[in-house]
Amino acid sequence: MRRTAKGDEEAFALLYRRHQGGLYRFALRMTGSAWGAEEIVQDVFMTLIRAPKKYDPERGSVGALLFGIARNRVMKHLERVPREVPLEEKNEDGTGAGIILQDSFTPAMWMEKRERMHHVRAAVMDLPAEFREAVVMCELEEMSYEEAAQMTGCPIGTIRSRLHRGRALLLAKLEMLRDVPRRMKVAR
Amino acid sequence: MELFGKNAMNCEQVEAIVLDLDRDDAADSLERAAAVAHVSHCPRCAALQESWQAAREELRALGEETLEARAPARVEMRLRQEFRMRHRTMVVRRAAVAAAWALAAAAILVGAIGSWNWLQTRRLDTTKQKMAAQNTLAAGSASRQGQTSETLSAALSGGDDSGEFTPLPGTTLEEAEESAVFHVRMQRSSLGALGLPVNEQRAGEWIQVDLLVGNDGLPQAVRLAQEEN
Repeated sequence: MRRTAKGDEEAFALLYRRHQGGLYRFALRMTGSAWGAEEIVQDVFMTLIRAPKKYDPERGSVGALLFGIARNRVMKHLERVPREVPLEEKNEDGTGAGIILQDSFTPAMWMEKRERMHHVRAAVMDLPAEFREAVVMCELEEMSYEEAAQMTGCPIGTIRSRLHRGRALLLAKLEMLRDVPRRMKVAR
Repeated sequence: MELFGKNAMNCEQVEAIVLDLDRDDAADSLERAAAVAHVSHCPRCAALQESWQAAREELRALGEETLEARAPARVEMRLRQEFRMRHRTMVVRRAAVAAAWALAAAAILVGAIGSWNWLQTRRLDTTKQKMAAQNTLAAGSASRQGQTSETLSAALSGGDDSGEFTPLPGTTLEEAEESAVFHVRMQRSSLGALGLPVNEQRAGEWIQVDLLVGNDGLPQAVRLAQEEN
């Protein structure tokens, strides 16, 4: 980070490569949009380029700083674009991302799985931002409660409560989408 | 549905734990055991657990779908370009600031030298003016004391060898640096041309005088250097 602040481009590239994946995934899962995630990652590192002295080692790691900036950008993005329609993401070469077609999959199974994924993605995207953040961090990123609390700067109790409510909402939505409302009472 | 027993939980309590059952950092082991016991006897909570496990699987699949997601290479390219440009700009800006400081320092130095020179010239002028004023005063006081041309002549003709120049009538002595001294051999009668009275009886005598000639080429003072005959 010190080298980056002094203008060492290679050090900057190293820093970027180390953190961009996690930040991109978080932004992608939060916004449901590849271009939105791309914009957010770019914004995060632009902030670092413009104000490298913003980083104070005593206040936490570089990763935490970058994640904090990314989180702010995601929230701003969600305010600006309240509801993204999650489109199927494309790879850089134009091919579709997502489910890897395995030999044992019949086209019908593949279609079913694809539809399920679409439902899950839509259900996650439909959660309020705070709950979605908790679900993305603890369920998709598989962070511990402590890590999530550190990253968001919230108490663990808050994370637990957001996650619980997020899960309940998600479950209710998924059951509705599956058309098997087993426990509608869960979503309170 | 209520279960009986020491650590029995109700559905509400189990609901909070059952969604967290497969996390290590969630409820403690006693609570988990009680929740599992409750689920094994409660069809409603068992259905919730089953539903959540299915949802969890789907979430996991969604997580795996984007597990390898990375920002496109063009982002790195754009950022590196911005990084390069910003740091180049910073270097240029630093150089410009350094140059500006150097220029300012040079300007201050030139200003200081200029004002020092001006002060020196002014001081010299003041000295010259003072000297001129003193000479005028000296000439004035000489005339006030009734020192006539004859006295001057007498001083010259009397062989006054004090080495001091006698200012010619109507002149003021300029500073010595700007004047030149000429040794001249002349007849005493020539003193008349310099505005000095001449003793007719000794008019033919040859005398040696020093003439103080100013910048304008005009004699300003005379001194009897050596008298011949």
